Amino acid sequence: MAWKSKLALAATTALIISACPASAQDSFADVGKQEPITILINASPWYNGFEKVVGLYEEQTGNKVNLEVTPFNGMLEKARSAVRSGTSPLDLINVNATNSTEFYQAGYIEPMKEIDPSFEVPKEVLGLDDAGCWDEAKKYRICSSGKLMGYTPNGNVQLFYYRKDVLDEKGLKVPVTFDDIIKNCAVLQNPPESYGYLQRGERGDSIQYDFMAYLLAYGAKPVADPANGDYTVTINSPEAKAALDKFIEVAKKCSPQNYGTLGQGELIQLLQTGKGMQAHAVVAAFPNFDNPQKSAVVGKINAAPLPRATPEGKPGVAIGSWVFMIPKNASDAGKKGAVAFSKWFLTYKAQYEYALGGGIPVRTDVFTSDLKDKPEFRWMPAYLDEIEYGVQVYGYVEAPAVSEAVGLRLNQALVGEMTPAVALNTLAEDMKAIFEKGGRKTGTLPPLAD
Amino acid sequence: MLVLRGYSRLAGIALLSLGVFVILAPFLWVALQSFKYEIQILQGSWNFEPTMFNYVDVLYSRRSDFLSNIWNSLIVAGVSTLCVLVVGTLAAYSLSRLAWSGWIRNLFLGWTLIFNMIPPLTLVGPWYLIFRQIGMFETLGSLILTHITLHLPMTVWMMMAYFKELPKEIEEAAMVDGCRRIDAFWRISLPLVTPGLIAAGVLAFVFSWNEFSVALNLTGRDTATVPVAIARFAQQYEVQYGQMAAASILSTIPALLLMFFGQRFVVQGLTMGAVK
Amino acid sequence: MSLSTPSARRQGLSDFIDRHFKLLTLAPALIVLVALTLYPIANLFVMAVSTIRFESGGEIWAFTPLINFKQLLNDQIFRIALWNTLLFAIASVAIEMVLGLGLAILVGSMTAFKGVMRTALIIPILMPPVAIGSMWKLMYSFDFGVLNQIVTGIGFAPVNWTGSPSLALWSVVIVDVWHWTPFVFLILFAAVEGLPKEVIEAARIDGASNRDLIFKIIIPLMMPAIVVALLFRTILAFKVFDEVFLLTSGGPGTSTEVVSLHLNKVFFQQNDLGYGAMLSLAIIAATIAFLWVARSASAALEKR
Repeated sequence: MAWKSKLALAATTALIISACPASAQDSFADVGKQEPITILINASPWYNGFEKVVGLYEEQTGNKVNLEVTPFNGMLEKARSAVRSGTSPLDLINVNATNSTEFYQAGYIEPMKEIDPSFEVPKEVLGLDDAGCWDEAKKYRICSSGKLMGYTPNGNVQLFYYRKDVLDEKGLKVPVTFDDIIKNCAVLQNPPESYGYLQRGERGDSIQYDFMAYLLAYGAKPVADPANGDYTVTINSPEAKAALDKFIEVAKKCSPQNYGTLGQGELIQLLQTGKGMQAHAVVAAFPNFDNPQKSAVVGKINAAPLPRATPEGKPGVAIGSWVFMIPKNASDAGKKGAVAFSKWFLTYKAQYEYALGGGIPVRTDVFTSDLKDKPEFRWMPAYLDEIEYGVQVYGYVEAPAVSEAVGLRLNQALVGEMTPAVALNTLAEDMKAIFEKGGRKTGTLPPLAD
Repeated sequence: MLVLRGYSRLAGIALLSLGVFVILAPFLWVALQSFKYEIQILQGSWNFEPTMFNYVDVLYSRRSDFLSNIWNSLIVAGVSTLCVLVVGTLAAYSLSRLAWSGWIRNLFLGWTLIFNMIPPLTLVGPWYLIFRQIGMFETLGSLILTHITLHLPMTVWMMMAYFKELPKEIEEAAMVDGCRRIDAFWRISLPLVTPGLIAAGVLAFVFSWNEFSVALNLTGRDTATVPVAIARFAQQYEVQYGQMAAASILSTIPALLLMFFGQRFVVQGLTMGAVK
Repeated sequence: MSLSTPSARRQGLSDFIDRHFKLLTLAPALIVLVALTLYPIANLFVMAVSTIRFESGGEIWAFTPLINFKQLLNDQIFRIALWNTLLFAIASVAIEMVLGLGLAILVGSMTAFKGVMRTALIIPILMPPVAIGSMWKLMYSFDFGVLNQIVTGIGFAPVNWTGSPSLALWSVVIVDVWHWTPFVFLILFAAVEGLPKEVIEAARIDGASNRDLIFKIIIPLMMPAIVVALLFRTILAFKVFDEVFLLTSGGPGTSTEVVSLHLNKVFFQQNDLGYGAMLSLAIIAATIAFLWVARSASAALEKR
């Protein structure tokens, strides 16, 4: 009910405002009459927010939007099938940033400005390290020399979460560095009742993504300078080794016994049940902590920026985003409709409603709006502090193969199948082979001593 | 069959009960979880007030089409099972009783077996192209055809095994008495393999009911089947355990019912054939 | 013909069917196979000898017969995966065959409730695999799982079911046995029901013990069905994906890496269709080799 009245209110304000020229901040875009479009979207914690915004769009504009709600595991397959032959049944597709490079490079995506030269991403919208751009010649994700292929509907990063009540009670400070975390967890670690720090060690995307928080914080990077074509592998640098050693130390000292297979789901569950005292996890998880049906710690978990290597250092913020893009083989009416929806969706008001419904907005002015003072959005300031350091780690077409290799070798080091040095050296060789296959200029650093 | 008496009978019953318990316990545990809120599932509570929240959410939330998903699954699994039973049983009979030369039989059986070994992942792309080309994309018909193909090898091989179990002499005697081949098949052999027919039917049905990767690619929102719908509860960041448990239970019940009535239908049909 | 009565016409039709019975019975299956399996299989072979790139709005195929094969020979992860798959297949199929056969004979010898028991015993294969994987993962969970609740309840330390490299594969085998024993049971129970009762009665009257009945009469008579169950169960085991993917995704380390998981990563995640197709062929070849060895071994044993 509350939602309905809010919606009606929003709709009327939009009507009033669209009658007179208004500042960008307080109007939805007027996009005119459009043909129905179909959007490929995944079932997810932020889906409800998206669905509400789409409902609002339909109500305001009278344009029909079909949502093809697909399981997370089927997204890539569905998107590929659609773009590869005939006329695409989908007009706007949501693709994981890691796999998006494949779509850009294959030429399956129509650059936004080629559909509508007037399309601009508003300056308030987070670029998230050029997630939506592609330079075909460099085969690299970069806006300065590339084309705008899409925009991200969901800028997910990881935040540091902690039990405010427990830290206050024990007189512990919110940690700034990884060493602070280890100090705190010496007090907090009491298995199986409570765990000092949770991070994902599960093989694959989990460990790959969570380790980036360490790798980037320690000033290491996987590849020397991909933006300028230098694909020398630097994953076995001494800094990377230091990061991996620290990652393993934290896992062993602060995590449950199954740290080598701890995945996203279980990590969030440990927080929800009140066993996890500190952790890093995606922003998208936050609403779960305050949902009494899912959580025993409602209102007790707070967010802060990710830890650093040294107090003066930067946090290692890897962006794991989705990208909305328009297939080249969509119908002309569908493409036009998709651009119209995109313009509308990126307005301040739409993003505000999106956030209210449970989405993660992509406009900075929504993060600085009155929302940040509401308790359920108490993660917003931390997000905004952190996002300026955000990095898309894999901006090249080889992304899926590289991240797969990273996810395997790191996990082997974590569970003891290899020593950290051997794992990183092996990984460097794996990556070099992948880049060689792709015809890149590549090489490796001298191997680390075991 | 075996006749068990005294201690061996008791031991047999005890073993069987244990087997049934081990097989049913996880299922019952899942059923129990479907009546809990997620936090109670995670805390492993045994004392809780049952809630219908998960069922309501699965059936009636805005994003859900679960009833139509079940309907689609019933049609796809039902029709494809019926077809694959007819096609597969005829082929099995043909290959095991009619004088096909060796190389044809071996080619057919070898081909089906190798086709069965192919990881389904690599089949999806070509099939998607075929059905886009002939305009059957996002129809239940396309899914039914692929399911018939997928489950044909197993049906043929199973039915061949059951036909082989029958002594050849029964049919031969009938044919000496002036029975035609088709009558020997329809009135004598087929009724005798009824248990096998039911087993093959149940398996084809179950595999079709749970098939995910082809269904995902060949269906759209209106034609999605139950496995596609249930996979939505396994998300990128969390598994919605409560909803998934409820959806599993909801998906199992119609399958059980249809199999129950389907069996009676098959048995009755065959006895009628046999009596005539 | 046009003057014939309906019943005579039907007679004519059934005569026609009878005359061409051999061809007509096999034709439907042939049509299905030609229509829907020729292209995918041919496509698989062509892909396996090609390098496929996606560029400038289309697929670019290059004929490179040896590149994928060389990559296969150097693929260490595939070797590990093959070994794990082999272990997994042998263990799970062997356990399932023994349990399934035992259950089938036991249920067959019961005098009542056969229908109920058959229904109860096949429930696991009715559950969607994604639900089986997710729910067992929860049962195995180190901190929340019902299994560790039981284990600690009777006074032992909690077990790291899927997190310990030495245990993880066996935890997957347990789920597989739970999931697929009903498959074996169903196939073999039908065979038990179809056994010629006269033969068994005659043997019993001749004084055969239950043990003799089982090993000398029932099992030999059921051999065709046992072979089919074994064959298709083995093929399924070599293709195992859902359970492993959802329970462990191949970890910890490479301890549960199986071939179809590796294939999924190459073919699907990395979109390397050429090498992915080569891996599929390698999996098929491995399955055939395994079945052939198993068959020769059992033939050799029978001769002794």
